[in-house]
Amino acid sequence: MSKLKMLPVKMLGGGAGFFAVTFLIYFFNLDMKFLAYCVEPILLWNYDRIPRKQYV
Amino acid sequence: MRDLKHLNWFENLLQEANNALIAQAKQEGKICVAFVCENTPEPLMNLGNAFGIRLHAPNTGSMDIATYYMTSFLCETSRALLERAIEGGFNFADCVIAPDGCTMINRCVENMELLKTMGEGNDRFFHEFMEIPLKADENGVELLVLQCKNHILKPLSENYGIDVSDASIRKAVGEHNRVCRVITEIGNFRKESRPRITGYEFHVLTLATYVMPQYLIIDKLEETLEEIKTREPEDREYRARIAVVGSEVDDSGFIKLIEETGAYVCADRFCFGSLPGRMEIELNDEEDALTQVCRHYVYNGHCPRMFNMEKVYGRKAYVNDIAKEYKADGIIYQQIKFCDPWAYERLLGSTMLREDYNYPVLSVDRPYNISSSVGQMRTRVQAFVESIEIKKLQGGAK
Amino acid sequence: MAIVVNDKKRKGEKRLGVLYDEGKVRRRREWRGLKDTLYDYGRWLYLLSILARVIVKPRNVKAMFRYRWFANYLAVPHMLDKFTIGLRDEPLRITHTAMDFVVKDVAQCIDNSIKGDRRTGNNVKYSDKCVLWDENAMTAVMMGFPTLNCILREVPTMFSANLLNQHSGMHYLDVAQQFGIPGDVCPMPEAELGVSIDDDFPVLGKCAVQVNTTCDGSLMGNGLIAKRLEREYGIPTFQLVAPMRHTQEDVQRYAANDVKAAIKFIEEQTGEKWDWNAYFECAKRVNNTTRNRVGWLEVNSTPYPQFVGAVFSLYNDTNYMGNCGRYPAFVDIDKKVMKLVQQGYKNKTMMAPEYRHRCIVWGVQPQYIIDMLYWMIQCWGVVPLTDMLSMVISEEIAEEDTPENREQAYYDMAWLTMNMIMRNHTHGGYKVLVDELWEYCEKMNADMVMMWEHMSCKALTGMHGQFEEQARERGINLVWVCHDLADPRVYTRQAIRDQFNQYMRTVMREEPLDPTIEVLPDEHAW
Repeated sequence: MSKLKMLPVKMLGGGAGFFAVTFLIYFFNLDMKFLAYCVEPILLWNYDRIPRKQYV
Repeated sequence: MRDLKHLNWFENLLQEANNALIAQAKQEGKICVAFVCENTPEPLMNLGNAFGIRLHAPNTGSMDIATYYMTSFLCETSRALLERAIEGGFNFADCVIAPDGCTMINRCVENMELLKTMGEGNDRFFHEFMEIPLKADENGVELLVLQCKNHILKPLSENYGIDVSDASIRKAVGEHNRVCRVITEIGNFRKESRPRITGYEFHVLTLATYVMPQYLIIDKLEETLEEIKTREPEDREYRARIAVVGSEVDDSGFIKLIEETGAYVCADRFCFGSLPGRMEIELNDEEDALTQVCRHYVYNGHCPRMFNMEKVYGRKAYVNDIAKEYKADGIIYQQIKFCDPWAYERLLGSTMLREDYNYPVLSVDRPYNISSSVGQMRTRVQAFVESIEIKKLQGGAK
Repeated sequence: MAIVVNDKKRKGEKRLGVLYDEGKVRRRREWRGLKDTLYDYGRWLYLLSILARVIVKPRNVKAMFRYRWFANYLAVPHMLDKFTIGLRDEPLRITHTAMDFVVKDVAQCIDNSIKGDRRTGNNVKYSDKCVLWDENAMTAVMMGFPTLNCILREVPTMFSANLLNQHSGMHYLDVAQQFGIPGDVCPMPEAELGVSIDDDFPVLGKCAVQVNTTCDGSLMGNGLIAKRLEREYGIPTFQLVAPMRHTQEDVQRYAANDVKAAIKFIEEQTGEKWDWNAYFECAKRVNNTTRNRVGWLEVNSTPYPQFVGAVFSLYNDTNYMGNCGRYPAFVDIDKKVMKLVQQGYKNKTMMAPEYRHRCIVWGVQPQYIIDMLYWMIQCWGVVPLTDMLSMVISEEIAEEDTPENREQAYYDMAWLTMNMIMRNHTHGGYKVLVDELWEYCEKMNADMVMMWEHMSCKALTGMHGQFEEQARERGINLVWVCHDLADPRVYTRQAIRDQFNQYMRTVMREEPLDPTIEVLPDEHAW
């Protein structure tokens, strides 16, 4: 019973946590910073390694 | 070789867009129909009392005013023509017929119209813009017929009373074919291993047929043909035989430059060249002449803007055919600077001729007036000719 | 023109320069006041969910590591940040509603392309139901083939990619030039050819249709791309003609006949049959789109424009050209946008503290700084009322299924094809390019023209002098802003903005509304 009673609180807490984390990511643009500085260089490095059949 | 009797006469006439023969034809009361693209059926501009003149701008120097109107990125042909028009160099024209073929030439003529560069004091003067088929098919033939009716025949008839009947078209085609026959016969001498005419001389004669009233030069062309038949060829081997393919060459100096390196220009597959520009138009009696003329232009034209794949591949096969027929050792794909259609065609053509047909190919762009870039171009052509020679010596591919 | 002053105080950030540093992305996101920031945050989450739905599929992960253009899609949220700079209230919501749907549409296009791609998804059954369609063309002919998938593979590889990341086209331009294409041709078809040469297009489809619509460069690039499609991948191509002189009566039959030939080609290649019911359903939606666009333009003719800028253009491009009535979902988006536009107009919502000039944006927009239109509002109070690419058809096509309309439909499809965005003005003679501009200036009460001078667009620059002289005669302030469409090495973003800045300072003798964004350090940014 008490568990059920706690559920809305937990959900609220979880939601608040989710909001707090994602809003921080959103506001400080951490998603873009991560993709721009960590992911993109790896992808570009990878593209340069792929042998390609370049011709007209 | 001995100089051709009339070559100097032709060369002098080519120094001016408004040459003495145009003045003579005008004095005779004829109507000058100016045009700018080889997709415009030429015989239709030589109907009755009319004569067709392709606009060109020899000895072009500064193009500052045209560059203001169209910026420095437009092809030099379009800028050179606009500049000459603004200078009043085309005042002889009684009308201008421009197909909306390549964008830049279209814009060039539109500027001519907006700036009222021609037709002062002539109420009957007109500009007409035509649609040109983009594929070689019967739908395209039907379009060209309609376009010719609406934008050439109708205005010529209404404004100048030109006879545009079927009989008149047949007569014009007959005269057109006479010119084509002479040029083709002269051009055939280029197939000889020791040719009796240089590529430069041939270019001068061919260019003359586009920019001068044909009826005033046909006798001299025929006389020249007779002269060449008995002419003694040069007593030397050429270093390489070259087919030139690409944008229009209005400056014979370009052909001369190639030949000054010891090469021989044996075939001219460029806009307003003889291949296929001076191919005869065959007419039958079953169908009207206009449709047959249009069909000839749709199916035999090699404009890079024809973009159905049959034509795209066919253009390269045609270059291969003429290279074989005229025994070319190598091909120069040249493009007037800033020309979009030939920029792409040059890449595909040079690649296919090199890889699919095994020809050595030089791919270059060039200015309208070659004198502004002689050294650079000569170096590239010389290197190309040397590379062909080395291949020959080493017994490699062509 | 009378200055229109915003009587509402702006919430949140007032000086937008604080968001920028030298990096690839912004220092942080914009504070728009609590309500609008939370709205923007919600849309950010929604965008991430769209992207997640694509990348969660293994074939798309594989494609991400195979195709160079794929990496640009990391920048989707960044692009939305660019398009919403300084926006609040209805314009913010309009921009998100329209642009988020465009993102969804492109994401779908990527997903579909990869699904059928021989290298990654390799779903042969699906691929056999696909027709590769030229990106530089209307998709009108596909309106009667509801069971086929129309794949515009150049959209994700080149067109959209350059909106996301200014550097996206450079590699492909280098490849094309390395193979011999000169540097003076339009970078759009040149880069598309570069993608083909670099073997970086997804390979799928039963057949392909190319159109000559945009320009000589595009027309000519088709031949090279088709060669690879046909000879290496065995995908037959059809070349559909769109006459240049599209306003003339004597070209319509030619165009309509070729539409018939294209339909026949698709039927033969795919085994599918043309469906008139589907066609006329699409035609109704095309007309609905036309009515809405005309409605938005009417609002933009008032002192309180609502739906403007890059997103106005991009949404119209997508809906009019890429969609062409084929997806019912656009109808709902149109409705939502219309509601917001009317609400914003009623509330006299403005996007900046004041509007000093009403501007028509003409010419061809640079892909890599298309968001400059929002910058103009924020920095100088210049409102872009509309742009050349959005000024497409205003007449409706036949939408009832009758025997006469079935014949008319071929003419309508041809007419739509000829009136593709941009080319309906850049081609067809100077009247549609030059004269119509002055008519729009009058209709929309504009006192300024911002002329995107795409230096490699020969159709446009061929009229340079005429624009200049005629604007002078009419007393219209004409600002030349030169660029090279997709290559920021020729004109950097700041070099582009500087042309506008100089005009505003030296000719108009004005000071910026927000001086902190007059110069932005975004040369290295996505």
